[in-house]
Amino acid sequence: MRLGIVRGHVTLTPAVEAYGGRTLVVVEPVTMENLRANNGLGGGKALIAIDELGAAEGQMVGFTEGREAANPFWPGAVPVDAYCSLIVDSIDVGQ
Amino acid sequence: MFLARIEGTVVAAAKHPTLDGCRFLAALRLEADGSAALEPLVVVDWLGAARGATVMVSTDGDIARAKLGNTTPARMVVVGIVDAVQTAGAKA
Repeated sequence: MRLGIVRGHVTLTPAVEAYGGRTLVVVEPVTMENLRANNGLGGGKALIAIDELGAAEGQMVGFTEGREAANPFWPGAVPVDAYCSLIVDSIDVGQ
Repeated sequence: MFLARIEGTVVAAAKHPTLDGCRFLAALRLEADGSAALEPLVVVDWLGAARGATVMVSTDGDIARAKLGNTTPARMVVVGIVDAVQTAGAKA
């Protein structure tokens, strides 16, 4: 998974039934330079992920991409490109 | 699969329930010339890779699903710690 900072939420009306009112967050991927600087900046191209953890704006999340992003909904068929797998408390990357 | 360098550890209390107890590491994917990618990755590690180690990462979720269940979003897994890589004029 990659790391990203939550920048906002997306509401869809209407949406495909499979989403069932799940939360969608806008995530900005974080570069190693910004991670080391711990400056709250991202630097990557924003994308949208399903969030079941309740991540707030400004929090850093780890998001899974690809087919595995839909695994939490197995055996259901939900169109998911990215899924928030964890909310980061801390990352120790040295200097 | 690709090679990556371990940069540090990731602590996350809130996570998908299948990921409880997993060790998460921040890693940078390496190119053939040894240069690192711009964006870090979070990988699951069961082998005990240390910071600075070069590891091989698989992005096939099958290992993760076998260990963590069919509903796990885990995908990138450390499948080996690299002893040596032989390439023409590059080091890893």
